[in-house]
Parts: sequence; structure tokens; C-alpha cells
Amino acid sequence: MKERRSVIDLVWWVVLIAWSLTILFPIVWDLYESLKTNVSFFQDVWTFPKQIQWGNYRKAWVGYHLLDAMVNTLYYVGASLLIGTFLTALNAYALTRMNFKGRKLIWGMIMLSLFLPGINALIPQYILMRDLHMTNSLTGLIVLDVLGENVFFLMLLSGFMRSLPRELEESGTIDGASLFTIFFRIILPLSMPGLVTVAIFKFIGLYNTFLQPFIYLSDSSKYTVGVNIYHANMLMQYTNDWVTMFAGVAITMVPSVLIFMFFQRWIMEGATLGSVKG
Amino acid sequence: MNMLRTDAEHASQKKRSKLLQNASFQKLLFLFVALVPTFGGYLVFGLYPNLLSVYYSLLDWNGISKAKFIGLENYGRLFMDHYVWRALGHNLFYMATVPLITIFISLVLAYLLTNKGYAGTAIFKVLFFFPNVLSTVVVSLLWAFIYDGSFGLLNAFLKLIGIDMNGFYWLGDTRTALAALVPPLVWAGVGFYIVIFMNAMSTIPKSLYECAVLEGASHMTRLFRITIPLISPLIRVSTVFLVLGTLKSLDLVLILTRGGPAGSTDVIGLYMFNMAFGEQVQNYGYASAIGMFLFLILVGAKLVVDKLIPDRGYEY
Repeated sequence: MKERRSVIDLVWWVVLIAWSLTILFPIVWDLYESLKTNVSFFQDVWTFPKQIQWGNYRKAWVGYHLLDAMVNTLYYVGASLLIGTFLTALNAYALTRMNFKGRKLIWGMIMLSLFLPGINALIPQYILMRDLHMTNSLTGLIVLDVLGENVFFLMLLSGFMRSLPRELEESGTIDGASLFTIFFRIILPLSMPGLVTVAIFKFIGLYNTFLQPFIYLSDSSKYTVGVNIYHANMLMQYTNDWVTMFAGVAITMVPSVLIFMFFQRWIMEGATLGSVKG
Repeated sequence: MNMLRTDAEHASQKKRSKLLQNASFQKLLFLFVALVPTFGGYLVFGLYPNLLSVYYSLLDWNGISKAKFIGLENYGRLFMDHYVWRALGHNLFYMATVPLITIFISLVLAYLLTNKGYAGTAIFKVLFFFPNVLSTVVVSLLWAFIYDGSFGLLNAFLKLIGIDMNGFYWLGDTRTALAALVPPLVWAGVGFYIVIFMNAMSTIPKSLYECAVLEGASHMTRLFRITIPLISPLIRVSTVFLVLGTLKSLDLVLILTRGGPAGSTDVIGLYMFNMAFGEQVQNYGYASAIGMFLFLILVGAKLVVDKLIPDRGYEY
């Protein structure tokens, strides 16, 4: 069914281009200004940088302690992601492929979490963590993230594991393999695509979390990248060092850009997994 | 001989029962490892704090001194609190604008990308999704640069086309700050809905459109008469999701304006946040009461959206 292109098509195409520009412009603008000096930026935001100021990136990297923040983030995101994905896989396996008393009840209680807004748990959660002496600690944040249920990830992995044939476990049992062997040697490798999707979404989610690290971390040496750049921006109001700030924001974007570049197909397919057929 | 057989039988039975015991022990151990960290963690760090917040809302407590039980006093205060209602008004404004604009833009763009087959469709799709992987902090800062009065992109652009705003701070003026937060909220969310709408639209059989094309229906007619009704269940779910998300969200507002200037962008979640973790006051009891109030609003909002958007699916 091929239709002839008309003037209206041109209009629609312009609409698509326009929306693309609203996305590209702020980002390109940030990169563009990050290569200028403050003087030329203050004079006129449009002028081309006379000499490209790569030094702004060094200034941002050193001045905002971005290395420390990146290491903190790597620890927080990496540990949460690895432990969290593994625990979710165990949990999904037990809840979909094992029979035990109370399984239905557990599913029901997990589904209940969809109705909890989460936001009013913020305070009791904080008090709880304070009583456990786990505030102002990246490990505390990992504990908070890893110990819990996430319906989206659980459903994703359950759906994946449900589609594996039963014979896999049966033949494993006959060969005398233990439950743990079956899980590690058969189920986990076969669920790899699901695990990767969960890990990617966990990475994006964790790298982008702001509220929890913002509430819990009080030492600036423990800041994650997001919290760090937020505080840097607050200070920028006094220093007026705009171009370094532009460079800092650009550096903060790098991990997101990389993950999106490499896993773009996984991410966009994963996004549709949660939705039902229209 | 007979004796020997029974002995052998006995031994094998014993062996089997030991194996069974072993297997059931294994299962128990596996279940323990598989359920305690996740489900147990959810009970301790998810469900329990949620229940606890009901109790906290009945306390007069700053988190340090001894808590005092004051019954429903916090709720009484809440209803008299002008700031709560002001924040709620702002929430209503965002609820009425952000989901509607987001869904409208996503539907149109998804339709164009699915049915028009323009050059660069694949690139558009990827590009449109990109803001969704950016963190709220980055989105907020990018938009802070756009809205800045002296060096902002928006004012620079307006100047280029002949409108001089004289260094107008879009986020610093009570008249514009509230509305200025709508574009970043929409900008950051649209990509996800484009992808899920595109996915749903591509499952609609082409034959359904052919008849309309023969009768000379325009693309707009096709979008509103065929496509949208067919994917209405998905639109409904998306609306609920967006409305509830908009009600709960506070980080973008927190980063961009901190609820200012003069509280003109304060939202209920942020008001609660400031009550609990703010610099001046620490009133966990009152903040929890606001949290409970927000919970009730969320339930109410879900019911209202369910009523407003008819739940009818079409078979095809």
C-alpha cells in the first residue's frame, strides 16, 4: 500500500525534524558551550569558540571530584546490579518453577507492592536505615536496593523462565544434579537474554537514581555522579563558572550515552515488554 | 535367600529415603536463598515502612526527641494548611497537562513513524527515545540552561527572532515557573510512549486501513477513527501510569526550582519531602500524614482516570 507523497507529508516530516531538534538542541548546545571560555560565553552565547577549550573538561573532572564520584557510582551501581540481578533470578525461578506451600500468597503480596506509592515509605525507611546505622553509606544504599522485590524485573524473568521446557529440570534430576546445579548450569545460561535486559534496565535506573543517594549520603566524598553534579550546580551560582559546568554535565551524560549506544535494541525492546498488546 | 532379599530391599529403601531427605533439604535451602533476600527484604524495607507510615502519621515527632502520640491532629493541621492545598493545586495542573500532552505527542509521532515510512524512521525512533535514558539531574540541568535569564538558550533564541526578553528568568518568576516545568517533564517522557505505541500500532492489520484509504480518509481521520480506538486499552494504561507518576514525582521540581520562587512550583511530594528532610524543619509525623494524604489522592486519581477513559477493547 504505497501512497503518493504530498505537501502534507512535507509538513509531517518537518514535525519529525522539529521534535528531533528539540532533543538534539539542548544537548548539542551544552557540548558547544562547554568548549568555550567563560568570557566568550558571557559575551555572546552563539559565537563560535575561537580556540577549543578542552581544558574545561579537565577542570570539571578535577574541580568537581568526578573521579571519586564515578568510583562511588561504579561501586553502588555495579554491586546493586550484580547482586540484584542474581537475587531476582533466584527469586523468579523459585516463584515460577517450584511448588511449595504459600507460593500464591507470596505472589499476591508482591503484587500488592504495585499499589504502594513508595513515597510515604521514604521516612520510615530512612528511620529504619538510621537505626541499622546504614545511612550515609553506599553499602547501605546497595542493601536498600538489593533487598526487595521489583515487580517489573520479576515478571520479565518469570516470563522468560516459564517458556523453558520442563524436561530440562527432569533430565537434570535423573542425572543426579542438585537443584543448585540445575539452576546455575541450565536455567541461568538459558535465561541470559532476560538477565541482560534486567541488568541494562537496572543500570539505567541506578545510574539515574537521585532521591535516595541525595537523602542518604551526607559526606561529599560519598556522592554519586548525579548528586555530585547537582551540588556542583548549586555552587555554580556563586562561582559563575558556566563553561566548566557545561563540561561536567557532558561528562555525566557519557555513561548513559554509552549504554544506549551499545544496548539500544535491547533497551527499546525491553521497554515494550511491560506493555500489553493494544 | 529370602532374608537376603528383604535386607537388600530395606537397604535400598533406606537409601532412597535418605536421598529424598537430601532432596527436600536441598529444596528448602534453595527456597531459603531464593526468597529470604528478596521477599524478606521487601517485607522489611518495603511493606513494613509503608505500614509504619500510618503509625508515624499519628505522631508528633522530629525523629530525634521522644515521639508523642497525638491521634489525628496531623490530619486536622493538614486540612487547614494553605501550603498543602496550594501544592495540590500545582499537582492538579501537572496532572491535567503533562499526561495529556505526552500522550498526544507520542500518538502523533508514533503514527507518523509507523505508517508513513519516511526516510530516517529508524533514526528518529532511536533519537526520540534518547531523553528517556538520561537522568533527572541531567534533564533538569539542561533545562535550567535553557531557561536561564542571562545566558539561557530560550532567551538567546527569542532574541535571534527579534523578541528581547531583557534577561527574563523563566524559572525565577512566579507567573511562568509552574508552566515552564511542563516541557522538561514531557520532553523526558515522550520517547518511551512512542516506542510502546509504535509497537502496538504495528500489530494492527494493514487491511483495516485499506478500506479507509479507498474511501479517501485522511491520515488524521485514520489516526483518530481507527488507530486510537484500536489501541485504547494501552492508552488507558499509559494515562493511569502518567497521572500517578506525575502526582508522585518530585525530583525534577526539587532540582530545578526547589518548589520556588515563593512556592509557586511546590508539589505535594516535595512539600512532604521538605517537611521530613528539609533544612529548617524536621517533622516526621506531619510529613507522614501528608504522605498518607498523597496515597489517598493516588487511589482517587486512579479511580477517576478509570472512570473517565472507557474500558472497551476492540477485537480484530
